[in-house]
Amino acid sequence: MSGEKPILEIKDLTFTYAGAETPALKNINLQIFEGEYVALLGLNGSGKTTLQLCINAVIPHMIMGDMEGSVTVQDLDTAEYPTRELAKIVGVVFDNPEFQLSQMSVAEEIALGLENLGVAVEEMNPIIHEVLDIVGLSGLGDRSPFELSGGQQQRLSIAAALAMRPQILVMDEPTSNVDPIGKEEVFAVAAKLNRERKMTVIMAEHEVEVMAAYANRIIVMDHGEVILNGTPTEVFSQLDVLEKAGLRVPQVTEMAYRLEHDRSAHWNSVYPVTTEEAFQRIAPLFGGKHD
Amino acid sequence: MRGVVIPISMVPGNSVIHRISPLPKLLLAGCVLVLSFSTRNPAILGALIVLGMVMVSVANIWKPFLRVMAILFPILLTLITLQSIAPAFPRPWTPIVSMGPFTIYQEGIYSGVTMVERATSMTIFALAAIMTTHPSDLFASLQKIGMPYVLNFILTMTLQLIPILQKEFTTVLSAQKSRGLKGTGFAAVLPSMVPVFVGAIERVQQLSISLESRAFGSSGAKTSYRSVKVSWVDYLLMLLTTFGTCGLLYWIITDPSLDWSRTLIFAPWLAITLFTLATIGFLIFVIIAIRVVLRA
Repeated sequence: MSGEKPILEIKDLTFTYAGAETPALKNINLQIFEGEYVALLGLNGSGKTTLQLCINAVIPHMIMGDMEGSVTVQDLDTAEYPTRELAKIVGVVFDNPEFQLSQMSVAEEIALGLENLGVAVEEMNPIIHEVLDIVGLSGLGDRSPFELSGGQQQRLSIAAALAMRPQILVMDEPTSNVDPIGKEEVFAVAAKLNRERKMTVIMAEHEVEVMAAYANRIIVMDHGEVILNGTPTEVFSQLDVLEKAGLRVPQVTEMAYRLEHDRSAHWNSVYPVTTEEAFQRIAPLFGGKHD
Repeated sequence: MRGVVIPISMVPGNSVIHRISPLPKLLLAGCVLVLSFSTRNPAILGALIVLGMVMVSVANIWKPFLRVMAILFPILLTLITLQSIAPAFPRPWTPIVSMGPFTIYQEGIYSGVTMVERATSMTIFALAAIMTTHPSDLFASLQKIGMPYVLNFILTMTLQLIPILQKEFTTVLSAQKSRGLKGTGFAAVLPSMVPVFVGAIERVQQLSISLESRAFGSSGAKTSYRSVKVSWVDYLLMLLTTFGTCGLLYWIITDPSLDWSRTLIFAPWLAITLFTLATIGFLIFVIIAIRVVLRA
C-alpha cells in the first residue's frame, strides 16, 4: 500500500475537552487507506470515541475543546469543513441505535440524509431500496424505526449512513446496545460492505474475536495514545502490552500463548488470532494428516 | 414498542375522509376556526358541530374522537360555569337568578353556551383532520403551504419523543420499584423526573450529532421525500370550502338578526340546570383526574 494516498490522515492530533485537565487524545498520528477494515480497541475512556468524532469533524465543530494537529479526510481538513459537509464522505453509526433515529418510518429515516443533500425525489426510492437490501431490511420501509429490534435499528442506522454514499464508515461500538443475534447481523453487514464495496470501515469494538476475524488492522488505544498499530497477528502477539492496557486477546491467542509457556510449543512470537488459524497451526502437533 | 399511544394521532382507515388529501382538510379546519370566531349564533355553531359529527361518522373515528372529547369537554364546561356568573359581554347584564353571592346572567349563559359550541366545533374539525391523516402527510402538507423546514422538523421530533419519553419513564419507574422505592402514586413520579430528563438531554445531544452527520442543516437546496398529491377533487373541495366560508361570513356580517343574545331567553330553571350540570361535570372530571394521577 506504500505510495498510495491515505483516505484519512491524522497528524499530531491532541485534543482536550473543554474543562478537562488531561488531554483525551495525545499526539495521534495515523494513516488509513481506502478499503481497510480498522478495529479500534481500548478500554472505555481510552479515547476511541473521541478519535472517531474527530474523523467527521464533530470535533472541533460541535464539541468544544482544545484541538492541535490536523485531521484530513480525502484532502479535506476537518478544521475547515463542518460535519454536515463531510456527510458524503464519512458515514457514522453510534452505539445507541435509538438515539440516532428520528423519523416516522424506515424509508423516511433513510430519506432524511438524501433530503438534506438535495437528492431528487425520483432517485430516492432506488437508493432506499438498495441500502435496505444491503443491510437486510428489505420490505420494512413503512415500519416505524422504533418498532424494530435493536439489531435492526442499528442496521437501519448503517443504511441511513450508506444512503449518502460515504467512502468511510465510522462505527462507535455499534453492537454495545444490541442482543447477540443483532451483534452478528451488524458485524456481518460491516464485513460485507468492506469486502464487496471496498468500504473503509473504522470500528471501535470490545469483541476481540470478531475483530481478529474481520479487521485487517488493529489500533490499540490507552489513555489517549495509540500504543499498538498493526495487523491482528502483529497486535495480538503483543500479549504483555495488551495486558498492561487492560485488554484481552482472542481466546485462541491466549491458549497458544499458554501452550508456549507451559508445554513449550513454539510460535516464534507470532500467535494465531482466529480459530481457523489456530487449528491450522495446532493440528500438526497432534500428528496425523494435515496440509 | 406499541402500547403507549398518543391520544391524538392517526386512526388507520380507508374512508372518503381518509383518502382526501390533507390540504382540503386543513383548509376546512381553518375555515371553521374563522367561522366559529366570527359568530355567536348558537344555531350556526350547532350546525357546524353537526357537520363535524357527520365527518367523524363518515371517517368512522368515533371511539378515539370521544376519548379525546371526554377529556376536553368537561374542561370546556367550566366556560358555562364561569361565564354565567361573569359574562364576557358588554353590560348591562340581565340577571336570571341569584344564588347567594352569585348571580346567573342571561348574557352569561348565552355566552357560555356559545363558547362551548365554538370550541367544540373547532375541535371536531381539527381532530377529524388530524385523525384521518398520516402524520408524515400532514407535515408534508404543512411544508407545502409554507411552514419552515426546521419548524416542521421540530414538530415531527416532538411527536416522536412523547412515546419514547413515556417508555423511558416506565423503565425508570420499574427500576425504582425493583430497588424497593415506591412504585405508584405521585411520590414515585417525582424522583423519576431527574433520570428521565437527564436521559432526554443526552438523547438530544447524541441525536444532534447524528443528524449533523447526515448533512442536516447543510447549505444548498433540500428535497422532500414525502410529497402530497393534490388531485382535481381536492382543488374542487378547497374551492367549495372557500366559497362556502365566504358566503357564510358574508351572511354573518350583514345579517344583524343572527345576534340572539337578547332574544334567546333562558328560563330560570334551564339556566340553573345548565349551570349545575356544567359545574358537576367539571368537578367529576377533576376528581377522576386526581385519582388517575395518584394511582399512576
